[in-house]
Amino acid sequence: MNILSGNITSIQGSESLSLVKIAVESNTFTAIIIDTPESEAYFKIGNTVKVYFKETEVIIAKNEPLNISIQNKILCKIDSMKQGEILSELHLSFGEFNIKSLITTNACKTLNLKNGDAVLALIKTNEVSLSPND
Amino acid sequence: MIKFYAHKTLQTADGKLPLDVSFSVEKGQFITIYGNSGAGKTTILRILAGLTDTEKSLIEVEGECWNNTDKKIILPIQKRSVGFVFQDYALFPNLTVRENLEFALQKGNDKNIVNELLELMELQSLQNSKPQHLSGGQKQRVALARAIVRKPKILLLDEPLSALDDEMRFKLQDYILKAHQQYQLTTILVSHHLPEIFKLSTHVILLDKGKILKEGTPSFVFSEEKISSKFKLTGEIIAIEKSDVIYIVSVLSGSNIIKVIATEDEIMELKVGVKVLVASKAFNPMIQKIS
Repeated sequence: MNILSGNITSIQGSESLSLVKIAVESNTFTAIIIDTPESEAYFKIGNTVKVYFKETEVIIAKNEPLNISIQNKILCKIDSMKQGEILSELHLSFGEFNIKSLITTNACKTLNLKNGDAVLALIKTNEVSLSPND
Repeated sequence: MIKFYAHKTLQTADGKLPLDVSFSVEKGQFITIYGNSGAGKTTILRILAGLTDTEKSLIEVEGECWNNTDKKIILPIQKRSVGFVFQDYALFPNLTVRENLEFALQKGNDKNIVNELLELMELQSLQNSKPQHLSGGQKQRVALARAIVRKPKILLLDEPLSALDDEMRFKLQDYILKAHQQYQLTTILVSHHLPEIFKLSTHVILLDKGKILKEGTPSFVFSEEKISSKFKLTGEIIAIEKSDVIYIVSVLSGSNIIKVIATEDEIMELKVGVKVLVASKAFNPMIQKIS
């Protein structure tokens, strides 16, 4: 599980759904969640929250992709890679945060990923969960 | 509304232990008391029912005083509006199912409730059978129906399903929920079974060595992380298998085994037997009608 920490900067609500923006260092994460400021006390603009997403949900792109629906695009550096036969675990960093991505080893080879490469980590809005920071 | 306070010195295997507990329950709530053996769970139920005395206690049920040791008020057992179901069924062996229910009726009770309960618990076809001809699950349904015959203010369930197999347990949970809702009971359950607690209770009291450690909703009490994910299960790890650079963790939740992928770092904290929360977003699972 990737866990980051950030501050809620905006909440756009529609009935039970909320589209939330969270500032994590200089990046903005977007999450869609089934909670509202009324249903959850911690869920307020300015509050610090933990941001969660699973390693398998982190897509890797090498060049800035154009016209893509994914809202969360984080420029990262590859610190290390653990290659298995089918899957590879990439250890990425941006600012003081580390995240991991699990992609197929084939994809890793196709993109010709190497330590030190700059890559974009892409995470769909509906893969991001939040919890209060305690 | 139930207000409960009790202080009692328990004799346990490890010596004397003071039970000192205070809580309140709203009408219609389904509360579970959870804790290790010897924490005092059953004692709390027995104090409520008037079966166990205390050194100091104050119990008020919907404005009626049941215990007030300062004023030397102890309402007798038979005047307390409680239904009690234990792990053993304690049915009268010489009476039929219907007679067992009728026996529990008091003067002034509406006799129609016996028919209503036989129907609710799906016991009509067994109503003329004696307990010895019933299975464990059927006996427990009779015991549950009998506990509700007087429409008690409080239904006390002391591990009522722990002698049953999983399948029967799930069915009985549905009967308990049905009865709780239909008769707008305030129910207090003692259970060790996490899936059961999550399914049934609105509120959990975590008891340890005679004291309340934590209370709140099941997910508040049992999950470390208050994560926003809406697809959550709790269960116990039954296997961890390494595959390639990842691990496949099998989790038993209720009678289902689910599998979750974990990374090597995550596995450091996990081992077989550990209780876990499995969470995903409501957006991910696919839903299909089954025939």
